[in-house]
Amino acid sequence: MNEKIGVYVCECGPNISERIDIDRVLEEISSAEGVKVAKKFGLLCSNDGKNYLADEIKKEELTHLVVAACSPREHEQTFMNVCLEAGLNPYLFQLVNIREQCAWMISDKEEATRMAIKYIYAGISRVTLHKPLLKKELDSIPDVLIIGGGISGIEAALCLAGKDRKVYLVEKTESLGGMVKKFFELLPYQGSNLAVIEEKIEQVQNNENVEILTSSEVEDVRGFLGNFEAVIKSKSNGSETKEIKIGAIIVATGFKLFDPKNIPQYGYGKIENVLDALEFEQMSASGKILLKNGNPPKSVALIHCVGRNEKGYCSKVCCLYSIKFARHLQDKLPGIDVSEFYSDLCLPDKADQDYFEEAKKKGIHFIRADNLELKEKDGKINVEYKVAGGKKDSIAVDMAILAPAMVPSEDTSKLAEILNLPLDETGFFKEVHEMLDPISTPIEGVYVSGCALGPKNIPESIIQSQAASGKILSSLIPGKKIEPEVKVSEIREEFCTGCQTCLSVCFYGAISFDEYKGISVVNEAICRGCGSCVGICPSGAIRSKHFTYPQLYLEVLQALR
Amino acid sequence: MKNPNVLVIGSGVAGMEASLILGEAGQKVYLIEKESLIGGQTIKFEEVYPNMECATCMVAPKQQEILQNENIELFLLSEVEQVKGSVGEFKVKIKKKARYVSLVNCIGCGACYEPCPVSLENEFEEGLSKKKAIAVACPGALPNVPAIDPENCLRLNGKKKECQACKEACMFDAINFSEKDEILDLEVGAILIATGFGLLDAKNLPQYGYRKAKNVYTAMEFERLYAANGPTEGKLVLRDGETPKSIAIIHCVGRSEQGYCSGVCCMYSTKFSHFLKHKIPEAKICEFHTDLCIPGKSHQKFYQKILNQGVDFIRFDDIKVEEKNGKMQVIYKNGNGEKDKFIADMIILSPAMIPGGDTESLAKTIGISLDKKGFFSTQSEKLSPVATAVDGIFVAGCAEGPKDIPGSIAQAEAAAGKILSILR
Repeated sequence: MNEKIGVYVCECGPNISERIDIDRVLEEISSAEGVKVAKKFGLLCSNDGKNYLADEIKKEELTHLVVAACSPREHEQTFMNVCLEAGLNPYLFQLVNIREQCAWMISDKEEATRMAIKYIYAGISRVTLHKPLLKKELDSIPDVLIIGGGISGIEAALCLAGKDRKVYLVEKTESLGGMVKKFFELLPYQGSNLAVIEEKIEQVQNNENVEILTSSEVEDVRGFLGNFEAVIKSKSNGSETKEIKIGAIIVATGFKLFDPKNIPQYGYGKIENVLDALEFEQMSASGKILLKNGNPPKSVALIHCVGRNEKGYCSKVCCLYSIKFARHLQDKLPGIDVSEFYSDLCLPDKADQDYFEEAKKKGIHFIRADNLELKEKDGKINVEYKVAGGKKDSIAVDMAILAPAMVPSEDTSKLAEILNLPLDETGFFKEVHEMLDPISTPIEGVYVSGCALGPKNIPESIIQSQAASGKILSSLIPGKKIEPEVKVSEIREEFCTGCQTCLSVCFYGAISFDEYKGISVVNEAICRGCGSCVGICPSGAIRSKHFTYPQLYLEVLQALR
Repeated sequence: MKNPNVLVIGSGVAGMEASLILGEAGQKVYLIEKESLIGGQTIKFEEVYPNMECATCMVAPKQQEILQNENIELFLLSEVEQVKGSVGEFKVKIKKKARYVSLVNCIGCGACYEPCPVSLENEFEEGLSKKKAIAVACPGALPNVPAIDPENCLRLNGKKKECQACKEACMFDAINFSEKDEILDLEVGAILIATGFGLLDAKNLPQYGYRKAKNVYTAMEFERLYAANGPTEGKLVLRDGETPKSIAIIHCVGRSEQGYCSGVCCMYSTKFSHFLKHKIPEAKICEFHTDLCIPGKSHQKFYQKILNQGVDFIRFDDIKVEEKNGKMQVIYKNGNGEKDKFIADMIILSPAMIPGGDTESLAKTIGISLDKKGFFSTQSEKLSPVATAVDGIFVAGCAEGPKDIPGSIAQAEAAAGKILSILR
């Protein structure tokens, strides 16, 4: 053994010195194997303290450093920086928390001192097994692939494209605009007329840094943040494929509507003049709101929440667009009788309620009802329903418009497989953290925005696209290298049996299987060092750098001795 | 050449998120916070729906990062005094109030609290506990450094000029009574407003009995009661220390007065039932709601779960709270128009989210407009939902209108995205 370990105990003013007998600690520790020096200092995190520590590392030619002070959350990084400055690899350092875990927890000074000694021993035995780890730097490509040419994808492209960043916008249909292009108008406070959308489409088409690939689909994606490769297949160009290199990906594949045929009591597909919301959007866009017999309707029922119970969630936007429909019907067909059948009115945005109140004033009927059933009766549609208290009622209307739940678009699961992204139980893409990280995925550099993540309105979709752009603009800076995690997993080839259990637990898609060698392989650029694979590997072939079994074993052994 | 620096006003989840993204991108960020700590309202919540994660724990790493990021310069106890100029070249004056405690020297040991002779109502705890004139807002506040309240400190307000109890107790020479308020000049290319929300004062709606009947609480008071770092250390008890046996939670308090639905109250009220069922399993709980507003792909499932635990959900038309012979009762008309009442030991009100207290003056200082409801308005009609009418000035989070945590975070990331996109 030729380690020269330096152990430094911080007094933290009176915080540690008054509750732990530091001199006794030093006396005991100084005789531990490999320890060259054991000293105390008033406040190691102060500038004086940091300079002192750096000088000591150099003067004593330390090979390893142990600092006994506060929580790693407070000052681990501080002391790692001191190591770097003093020319010691920062991973040859261990911080032992004797403040929060001993001084502040244990009132008996004798006992606290005893515990502190144990913990410092644990740190010393662990640090001797530390390996110097080196930060890697990788070149990155700033260009971005956006999958989906709806309003979300368009917004992201506009936000990202620039002279030093190219954007590939892949759309599977022949034109840009997605669902929004099918609408006859937007809510007055959310875009109103469609000129806003047209303007955005035009901007993206005229942007020389955006390459638009319509009638195209993503066939394959490999790689990691900063260095992805994607294969795009064009349907129009005789199934020609194109390979592109990008640094990040945004999935903006939108939604479709739940098929109301799945719920027979709404009569959709059987009863004449029962439409779904998109059919009515298009009918309104054509300017001809007519029944099958060519006459304009005199009465219309708007049915909310179609498929809400079946899907298990509220789609948020249906109440508002149904009100939009009602107001449009009144404008276009004066004297028409419009009734809205709803379960709960969901009006969560600040301008929503006024919009609803105005509709109510215009004489649109709002009826809270359940157990709705639509039946054909004398050439009309009879809407039978139950109101609060269970009372049955019915009205006959000329036309019924259903507001079905928003569900994931066709190719969601196919794309999830290509990109190795998880879906949630509703079938939409799953965000990495529902609260704190609502547009990121477990795959670094891959984001999802808009209705591909779940039902939302147009402004929210735009916000998410700008958010994904923000994440990309801050993490993929042209000319700047990226630094992957260093405390990653490594697989020892000689022990790997090729069972592939690790592949199934890796949340980040960092492990692949080398068919030729018959072993699993970790991509260190993707691995984030969570350790799931280490725990699950039945043959003990995987170890986590900086958290190896011997390191953990010795540390725990000393702490418990 | 556009100035690449950014001013972020408010250090709640939205302000922090935007600052971190901008800081990571290499922009210099000036983060202005009027309180003595960062984290905004989220750090008051013990657990957040729908996954019941500990909010304080979720946000703490972000707070740490804010304190450690070299590109982010934090100004606590600070407010914007003046804004001039235009996109790419704003000139901003900041008033930074004295903290009287050094952020560099103080290690947060707390030795100074005990000797302070002043006892005050703790606003952070909704007045449910006391604090000293030198104090941190709550255990775990970041930065973990107290501030002296100059209006109540006996030395600083001149009532006892010789008092230096805290200074004597401090081992780190962190206390400096002669610190002065400062005016600072900053130059930035863009500004983000993330000043958050307030709650409608339930006293303004006398029918709910708030501050009249003894055990009527607001949602925020209840959050603090449930919080492990709160005034009761997480014990759900009434003001007399008794455990409540029947609890009414009233939604939509102030909804019709304000003219909008706040979008989050149904869910957090349902969360309260979850808390109550967890801590007082035998309690009778009744949620009084109007329309249940539970959008979001996982929210209905959460509601169903609570419903299945035996919590009553009653739709009301009219509702009021009365106290008779020491008993509180909720008198209401249900969805069928029938009158009924519910005897409750504890009543929790879910008030409307309203613009933060200084919204109006800030709007005037910056020179941008507010909407009809008093929140900052964006160009939403042009589908530019984080941009204000002034080029280079953006809004995120509840300063723009009521929203939940992920909604605020997405908006903050969006604002950061737009800022990076215009300043490059």
